[in-house]
Amino acid sequence: MTRGIAAAGVHVPRFRIEASTVSEAWGVDHASGIERKALPAADEDALTMAISAATDALDRVDVTPESLEFVGLATTTPPLAEEEFAPRVVRALGGESGTRTATATASPLAGVDVLERAVEADGPALAIAADAPTGDPAEADHRLGAAAVAFLVDDDAPVTLVDSAAHADEYPGVRYRERGSETVDALGVTTYERDAVGESVAAVLETLAADDPVGAALHQPNGGLPYRVGGRTDLTNDAIERGTVVDRVGDAGAATVPLGLCAALAAADADATTVAADFGGGGAALGLAFAGGLDAVPAVDERLGGGELVSYDRYLRERGYVVDGEVAGGGAHVSLPSWRRSLDGRYRLVAGQCPSCGGLTFPAEGACGVCHDRGSFERVELPRDGVVDAVTVIGQGGAPPEFVPQQERDGPYAVGIVRFTRDGEEVTIPMQLTDCDPETVAVGDDVRATIRRVYADEGIPRYGSKATPI
Amino acid sequence: MREAYVIGAGQSPFGSYPEETYRSLFETAYDRALDSVDGDVDTDRIDEAFLGTLGVGGRQIGLSGPAVTEHVGLHGVPTTRVENACAASGYALRNAVSAVKSGMADLVLAGGYEVMTDTSADQTKWWLGVSGETEWERLSGTTFAGVYAQMASAYLDEYDATPDDLSRVAVKNHANGAENPNAHLGFTCSLEDATAAPAVADPLTLYHCCPTTDGASAALVASEEVARELSDVPVRVAASGAASGAVGLFQRDSLTSIPATVTAAERAYEQAGIESGDVDFAEVHDCFAIAELLAYEDLGLCERGEAPRLLREGVTDPDGDLPVNTSGGLKSKGHPIGATGTGQVVEAFEQLRGHGHVQVDGAERGLTHNVGGSGGGVTVHVFERGFGGGSA
Repeated sequence: MTRGIAAAGVHVPRFRIEASTVSEAWGVDHASGIERKALPAADEDALTMAISAATDALDRVDVTPESLEFVGLATTTPPLAEEEFAPRVVRALGGESGTRTATATASPLAGVDVLERAVEADGPALAIAADAPTGDPAEADHRLGAAAVAFLVDDDAPVTLVDSAAHADEYPGVRYRERGSETVDALGVTTYERDAVGESVAAVLETLAADDPVGAALHQPNGGLPYRVGGRTDLTNDAIERGTVVDRVGDAGAATVPLGLCAALAAADADATTVAADFGGGGAALGLAFAGGLDAVPAVDERLGGGELVSYDRYLRERGYVVDGEVAGGGAHVSLPSWRRSLDGRYRLVAGQCPSCGGLTFPAEGACGVCHDRGSFERVELPRDGVVDAVTVIGQGGAPPEFVPQQERDGPYAVGIVRFTRDGEEVTIPMQLTDCDPETVAVGDDVRATIRRVYADEGIPRYGSKATPI
Repeated sequence: MREAYVIGAGQSPFGSYPEETYRSLFETAYDRALDSVDGDVDTDRIDEAFLGTLGVGGRQIGLSGPAVTEHVGLHGVPTTRVENACAASGYALRNAVSAVKSGMADLVLAGGYEVMTDTSADQTKWWLGVSGETEWERLSGTTFAGVYAQMASAYLDEYDATPDDLSRVAVKNHANGAENPNAHLGFTCSLEDATAAPAVADPLTLYHCCPTTDGASAALVASEEVARELSDVPVRVAASGAASGAVGLFQRDSLTSIPATVTAAERAYEQAGIESGDVDFAEVHDCFAIAELLAYEDLGLCERGEAPRLLREGVTDPDGDLPVNTSGGLKSKGHPIGATGTGQVVEAFEQLRGHGHVQVDGAERGLTHNVGGSGGGVTVHVFERGFGGGSA
């Protein structure tokens, strides 16, 4: 059996900032070897990026969400410090409740870790790394980026796992986050840190059975370190360059090395070897060696090259560094049980089809919205593409209190009524527009539903579908 | 069925009165309603009260109705608080009319009250916004202004209409409200003022939106026997039409019509035995400028898409064929949610008795149109001067 990676999907947030913009703002450069980096929009986080990357991967192969037997999530920035978040991803993707899940959050090493676990699992499996670390804006933040990568692992895959190797020794203080803190830190003992990473990653690479890798995705908190680590091994600079993405996306925590692996596998031939080796603060390293090349993969270079550049003040707002997130005056309250009851509608756009008239009703409850009969609806999933029937822009000061924190970060947003058509039957859903200039959205525009963070109620983040112009 | 008559109606000034309470505001409206009756009312004869409020800013969620009637000395009178968002007191009036017509009561107090301006801006948005469809519409990130703006966007897309047509509602209603001493925003505005004002929710500008307002209103509804005893010129309730609709805009067939208005109006016209729009004036629910345009069409005052023409040609000006919102409407007079429905009745009562601040010549029949939220509940009442309906 040749189990390994069958496909990959990627999500890089649309917002980017030049490293020079950050260093000019502070008069100092703490982002060595990084040219630009990605930043999540105010309604994006590890969960939404994970769902987007997973959807991208699943769209490339003939595997349904229902058939997934394992979903592993890796991030250092889960929506809640303690709580499994893989179940939310499974639900959002339309997976079955029997799916085995794993959530790994202790360090950036989590990304490579869940990939190995997905290979060790049975059946179609997803390994998703999604991360958007934050740090002290004066220093650590300068190099921190955001991204998500999803690997679809299956039997008879074009890319197979040929070996794995691990290393563990006590190296505290290299990259850590204190309890209750949202900012990653390092003690900054330079030689000690370089030795810790170099020794650990090199030990893993030495152990791995990998012949002349053509690509190597190595621990990359900045643009220089992978080459410095590679100097301790036989790896060529060309191989390291193929697996290095931090220069264009920033340090995306647990997603950086998986994204580098994705780029290297896309460039590899069928008989080539590619390695991935990451370091987790505290002193653990894990390395994986793969054989083969991947076709079912997005053009990573293109994804890294696009995006919309933002100014530094926009960056600080969007990332939430200068917004406290407090909801003043009380927000709209929907109890968690009623919210959960509506998840199929929010994630999968499940509407009710009337047994009497065939008309569609959203949400799928109560009497038919078309003929007003009461029968039991057939629950049907709407296509995710729709048309804007009505739209307005909610400007500063006009948002309901529970959307004020998002608006303070992301600015005015558009809200519309979107019409979806399934087999000739139409139904409309109120939707916020995202990932667009709100002023440009007009009646008649084509949009696609995408899952984003809606708001937080009683401390629990809530997610649902928003619309993006296509 | 028995006839029902409005024999008195009054309102407090509408505006920002943070030093007042909902009880004290209602007291003013109640006293003015009593004063407006031609004869002397023995208040012990008031059998029942129906009072509308959204919830006075959340400070008294339950039993504000009895708190008000006890405050004005109507000790022991059965009082029901009616809630249908902005149509609360339109429905309170309907309940009062039902009570009289059924024979259960001979003299009933209908009214409403709201205190809105002493609440923080954030709390006001929270409280007002949760009267719409909360789980989907509100959580797409919109307030009521946003929902009506969506209707406006669809209307401007579908018909030959411009933002200036929305502004014409503001210009007309402010001109009327400037004559009304009880108006909240009793000043005039120009077309340029209205169109160039800051956007609240595109395409709606500040001048296309009604204010939040403190105020109260009251009406006394009587049987024919009581009306003949106490009133020289009563106002007959010729029809009480009402209808519900889906609470969320997205749940309706049309984004450029409020279906519950169409149904309520059809019912009202049938009860009154008149053709659609066969009235001398109308007070319509213009919480946002687009709402007045939709009201013209939904009430059958014109064909679909013709509302801008009515405004451009001055048909609904005070000297036009069908004056609308001579009081200033919600836009200028103000919109103390629970008080708005019976506030419209005050204007109809005064117009039909010839005491309008902006008097419509020869007014014999008028209608009031009160909408809850963006169209979840609507009342349309038709009023006629004197003892009509074959009973006179």
